[in-house]
Amino acid sequence: MSDATVRKASVPPDHLPIWDDPCEAIYHRVTIDLDKCDGCKLCVVVCPANILELFGPKENLKARLKGDANGCMSCNNCYAVCASQGIMATEPYDFAGFYEQKQISEFMFPRKF
Amino acid sequence: MDDIVSNHDLEELECELDAAAAKESRKARRRTAIQDIEPGAEWNDVEHAILTRRSIRKFKGRQVPAHMIRRILEMGRFAPSQGNNQPWSFVVIRDKAMIAEMEQYCVAVCKNMTATIDYTNYPPGSEQRAAIMENTQKLNRDNPNSFHPVPMTAIKSIANGRFAVFHRAPTVILILMDKRGVGVPEVDIGVVGTNIVLAAQSLGLGTCWIGFSKLLSSNPALVEKLGVQAPFEIAEAISVGYPIGNPTQQAISRQTHQIVWWEDGNKEILY
Ligand SMILES: Cc1cc2nc3c(=O)[nH]c(=O)nc-3n(C[C@H](O)[C@H](O)[C@H](O)COP(=O)(O)O)c2cc1C
Ligand code: SF4
Ligand code: SF4
Repeated sequence: MSDATVRKASVPPDHLPIWDDPCEAIYHRVTIDLDKCDGCKLCVVVCPANILELFGPKENLKARLKGDANGCMSCNNCYAVCASQGIMATEPYDFAGFYEQKQISEFMFPRKF
Repeated sequence: MDDIVSNHDLEELECELDAAAAKESRKARRRTAIQDIEPGAEWNDVEHAILTRRSIRKFKGRQVPAHMIRRILEMGRFAPSQGNNQPWSFVVIRDKAMIAEMEQYCVAVCKNMTATIDYTNYPPGSEQRAAIMENTQKLNRDNPNSFHPVPMTAIKSIANGRFAVFHRAPTVILILMDKRGVGVPEVDIGVVGTNIVLAAQSLGLGTCWIGFSKLLSSNPALVEKLGVQAPFEIAEAISVGYPIGNPTQQAISRQTHQIVWWEDGNKEILY
């Protein structure tokens, strides 16, 4: 499994994030499994943040995050549309410092209680 | 004489029998009304629609039949509301030229916004940046929560044409809100929209909420042309069409939020 991006906010707790550096406000992790991805491009089409792209030779296209890839809101629309389950946002959109999210835990699939 | 009396007795007996039967059937009805599901049971149709709904932002060109739009609006009409005041009204736009006009106006506003409030265009410490920051802060004070990084990224994408406001959907539903609505009419708008979106999902249609539709409100001529009159205002919009791909094939994962659970005098925290 190739980890496409790991992004972590590291600002002191009393610091108000400045919105021009999305690194301070966004904490997300999108993983793309290059073995499973068949380059169908659906995730690139549906991503609302427009941060995905295809790369590689024409016969072996794969999805990846564009450049620094800011703007992922962890909507997981890419996962929902991927027929080969090759892509997934595994950590939530988050705030740093002052706006740190409280009383929220990790991502989970729907549970049948 | 005897005959009449016995007839009367018979009637009474029948009445008693009827009463007993009615009581029995009432009991039976009460018994069947409450049917708990087993823990871990399969999702029912409503749960399934909720879990597989996604916001659709790429639509096929095909128009949705009018009767299907009427049908999902009907689900909106039967939404609960505060004091049953039903503070909503709909504008359905299936006219390509009209949608294009709305799109164009919103793009213009976003271009204006990126020019006047997007301080990220200039390097930190520069004079232009300090000047623009002031605009951003003022706007932010008037519209708290609107300049959050996610919509900010979206505003930029709309301005440079990477992201369409109404996602080029064949049908756009504007949900208007009666400003005189009881209590918090905004909540009622959320409820009516949820009914519409889930009904559409159950019919195989794709939808996306369009919060950016609020931008239209700053153009009185366009608002009037659309048929929006006071005391109604544009509260939200929902784009409807046929999704590209199959975005409903699997439920996604989401954050778990704290649940404070009080039972038998104990407080527990669950996730
Ligand atoms: C009130 C409301 C307004 C929204 N406005 C927009 C919008 O203007 N544009 C857009 O692309 N998505 C909009 N969305 C969709 C959200 O981005 C989306 O629901 C979220 O990313 C979760 O993804 P999902 O709906 O696919 O589960 C809106 C959602 C809500 C509830
Ligand atoms: S949808 Fe899945 S298979 Fe298709 S390009 Fe994206 S990650 Fe690859
Ligand atoms: S989770 Fe949503 S925003 Fe993030 S990469 Fe996937 S589709 Fe794009």
